[in-house]
Amino acid sequence: MTQPNVTLRGPEVPNTPGSLDPVFTVEDLSVFYGDYEAVRNVDMMIGRREITAMIGPSGCGKSTVLRCFNRMNDLIPGAHIKGKILYHEEDLYGDHVDPIEVRRRIGMVFQKPNPFPKSIYDNVAYGPRVNGMKKNMDTVVEEALNKAALWDEVKDKLKQNALSLSGGQQQRLCIARAIAVKPEVILMDEPCSALDPIATTKIEDLMQELRQEYTILIVTHNMQQAARVSDRTAFFTADVDSAGVRHGRLVEFDQTTRIFTKPSDKRTEDYITGRFG
Amino acid sequence: MALLSTPRSQVDLVGKGRPIREHLFRIALLSSLAVALIFLGLLLAYTLTEGWPRLDSRLWENFPSVRRPETSGVLSGIAGTLWIIGLTAVMALPTGVLAAIYLEEYADNTKWYNRLIELNIANLAAVPSIVYGILGLGIIARWLDFGFTVMTGAVTISLLVLPIVIISAREAIRAVPPSIREGSLALGATQWQTIYRQVLPASIPGIATGSILALSRAIGEAAPFLMLGAATLVRFNPDGVWSSFTVLPLQIYNLISQSREEFHILAAAAIVVLLAILLLMNSLAIWLRNRYQKRW
Repeated sequence: MTQPNVTLRGPEVPNTPGSLDPVFTVEDLSVFYGDYEAVRNVDMMIGRREITAMIGPSGCGKSTVLRCFNRMNDLIPGAHIKGKILYHEEDLYGDHVDPIEVRRRIGMVFQKPNPFPKSIYDNVAYGPRVNGMKKNMDTVVEEALNKAALWDEVKDKLKQNALSLSGGQQQRLCIARAIAVKPEVILMDEPCSALDPIATTKIEDLMQELRQEYTILIVTHNMQQAARVSDRTAFFTADVDSAGVRHGRLVEFDQTTRIFTKPSDKRTEDYITGRFG
Repeated sequence: MALLSTPRSQVDLVGKGRPIREHLFRIALLSSLAVALIFLGLLLAYTLTEGWPRLDSRLWENFPSVRRPETSGVLSGIAGTLWIIGLTAVMALPTGVLAAIYLEEYADNTKWYNRLIELNIANLAAVPSIVYGILGLGIIARWLDFGFTVMTGAVTISLLVLPIVIISAREAIRAVPPSIREGSLALGATQWQTIYRQVLPASIPGIATGSILALSRAIGEAAPFLMLGAATLVRFNPDGVWSSFTVLPLQIYNLISQSREEFHILAAAAIVVLLAILLLMNSLAIWLRNRYQKRW
């Protein structure tokens, strides 16, 4: 493949980088696992109600960066960051910040659908329940499933085990589950990599719907997907330093149209034209 | 279509006869299995035929007697065993599961002291049961002054099965995929909510199976009770945790050391009862495992 067959969402993107309304501001972020610096010196901004895609070859640290936004990396012993991630005006890693509270506002969908081994209803109700919401659970569940474009398929079998659903349905259930907590941001870590093309299309269409209400960050291996769904794209790659150690870094961050048509960095161009990665 | 025109002689799929070693290996595997099964069968057949004349209600309706074998039974042993196992379950299971949760969900494996704890739990599981008997006698019966009571026995047996409960509970907890924990935490659940609402329910079948197997091992123990000096000729059932008691294995041991033949038959019958309790518990474990086993 020399020239990727990409469809661009071109003129629909209203924002220029100057007019970006930031939900997150990442300032000189480096992520460490113990002494190992997995990603270094990332600067980027995530715009409100935009879809930001993070692309790059394997091992470039894009998932690592994604997991900083809801402090999932905290769960790994020895993981820590340098630099800053501002969520609105608030330092996400400030001393007084409770990661539990962060994860309520910033939901996450994982690479492999991971519904709980419970009923469809209980899967969606789980988030609200652990957060102490008890009222109108039926409405909350229906609303979340509706927004995730799953209600019509499951409304007659809400008590059925979620593991009986197909992979694509399971992933939309995981999205519904995240929505039920009423987050502002949804992080998606390669949400379609375990799905077939039809299920992938459904998730991509769903993302366009969700974009009206939520800020979405998606890590993807699939460049066409980034080109199809996202407003902005961050291209990551891995550098090997003089000691032979790999560090992920952000090469270029721009509007998706520009990344895929006029990239300003040679490495981005090589990657999107399929010359490496 | 080159494949179709390939001459027959170029593709040779005719078997060359499996090497004799393949067959020998199979036979070796099967005979190893047979050794275990044949001896189990022999044991069962022998005790059943030996104990058959006394395998009736006299066995579980009467207390032991040294003078009248025909009206002698092992009622106090059955009752004592059930008391000990019940109390052990109450003490060892919660403790073991909580310890396992700590080791799997909270302990940082990169810290040396946590690795030391882990290593020593494996060591504890290998300590001979008689050593636990000495511990029970010295510390629980004498130093804590619990005497030779159901409580002393149950605490001793709890300590004996605790490492096994911890190890099997850890296995069950570890079998819950990390993606379930991540999914829960990502929704803003606390660590305890994640454990209580996701990890524990998903691992309970495994924990139950392992615990029952650990308890059935404890049922057959005679050595620690021997060490504790529990009496064998107990003509009453325990009426509480501070009552004195005996257990089935100890009664069997005692019956066999009697000189009269009738008591040996009685011992065989008591062994059948003990095996029946064991098989019952093991089948409960297997049923639990099959019924609630999760596929991820």
